[in-house]
Amino acid sequence: MRRLVILLLILLPAISNADGEMQLKVRPVLCIIDQRTPHCQMSFLVLWQSVETGYYCLYNDFGQAPLRCWTEQRSGKLSDERTVNREFSYWMAGDDNQSPLAMVVVEVLRMDSNDRRRKRRSRHVWDIL
Amino acid sequence: MRSQIVRIVVVSLMLLASHPSAAGEAQTNSLADETSGASAQGASTPGPQQAASSESRWQLGIALGYGLRTNPLVQSDDIPIIVDIDISWFGDHLFFDNGDLGLTFVDNEYVTTSLVGRINSDRVFFGRTNTKFVSVDLAGQPLSSTFEVSIPDRDYAGELGFELLADGRWGQLQLSAHHDVSGTHNGYDVEFDYGYGWRNQRFYVEPSFGLSFKNEDLNNYYWGVDADETNAALPEYTAGSGVNAFARLQFSYQISRNWSFSFVGEVERLNDEAAGSPIVEEQNIFGYFAGFGYRFR
Repeated sequence: MRRLVILLLILLPAISNADGEMQLKVRPVLCIIDQRTPHCQMSFLVLWQSVETGYYCLYNDFGQAPLRCWTEQRSGKLSDERTVNREFSYWMAGDDNQSPLAMVVVEVLRMDSNDRRRKRRSRHVWDIL
Repeated sequence: MRSQIVRIVVVSLMLLASHPSAAGEAQTNSLADETSGASAQGASTPGPQQAASSESRWQLGIALGYGLRTNPLVQSDDIPIIVDIDISWFGDHLFFDNGDLGLTFVDNEYVTTSLVGRINSDRVFFGRTNTKFVSVDLAGQPLSSTFEVSIPDRDYAGELGFELLADGRWGQLQLSAHHDVSGTHNGYDVEFDYGYGWRNQRFYVEPSFGLSFKNEDLNNYYWGVDADETNAALPEYTAGSGVNAFARLQFSYQISRNWSFSFVGEVERLNDEAAGSPIVEEQNIFGYFAGFGYRFR
């Protein structure tokens, strides 16, 4: 049961518009950085599936041009190598290129702080947070 | 006389801390250094400066799981750990960190130094002791009759001291010295702690170790046995100063933005003077905790 809950927590943010006509999945959807590793250098696997065959393009926040377009397709995938240090999105659009059909946000989580006091140690075994 | 000196020091530090340049300038420099070093493939990146400015002053979290800390005292129960609650607030100078109150008066690219008030943690073991009727003494020798043996009670001590924090690519260092200001044990301790963490995305491992010197007054108050606390089964004992050592290993896995799973194991070795006390059964204190944590972000 606990495994199921964990699995849902991981997968839920990665599935966009699951009930709609376009499904977009991105893995991973969480990038963790800190002082020693200020960027994530990752390969993002993007998977999409539509109920209708058509012309679709994949975009992200880093440029106006599409990463890739598919003609007369109803599914596709792309591996996108990227170095990031801020939250960004992938989205699918159709012919009109106006409204996203599905969108997934990749979160960037900084785990440390510039404030050293937040790293104070209390010598208690239960101090794990 | 001593309390007057403490009062003067506290007032002086508060005046120093209220000066905006003391900590503020250093913070700005530190942020500027990080921003210039940041780069990313892609469009406009806000960088750590924005991330830092958006950081909440509050730090709130809760962890649920199971753990235990052994109790070195005779006739005592181990301390179960089910919940860990983290409540902290960090202002420019003042901070509250899970019961510790601090006043930061130096914060630059090398160190952060604060005046810290806290409650001594040695008292925690004395809250889980039992009374027993024994016919042998604590060394196992038979007694002439049955005696009631209770572990002497000890009070919490309010302590005031200085704390120095430093970090870098080489790890994290914490040095602190605290003196009793509540008149409980009238002693002091000096602590050293070093840790180094490795992160690989969601996985994080951090070993750390430290030493804690406890002077005679502190050590004897908690681990000594006074003449008026003795009986045939519990002899008088005077503890001198000593150094405790500890090591700790933390492992955590970040499940999502808010959720994580952590395991931590710890061992602390009591100094010989404390371990030699008739009320102490185990020199090593073991602790562990495994659980799921939720941090409010």
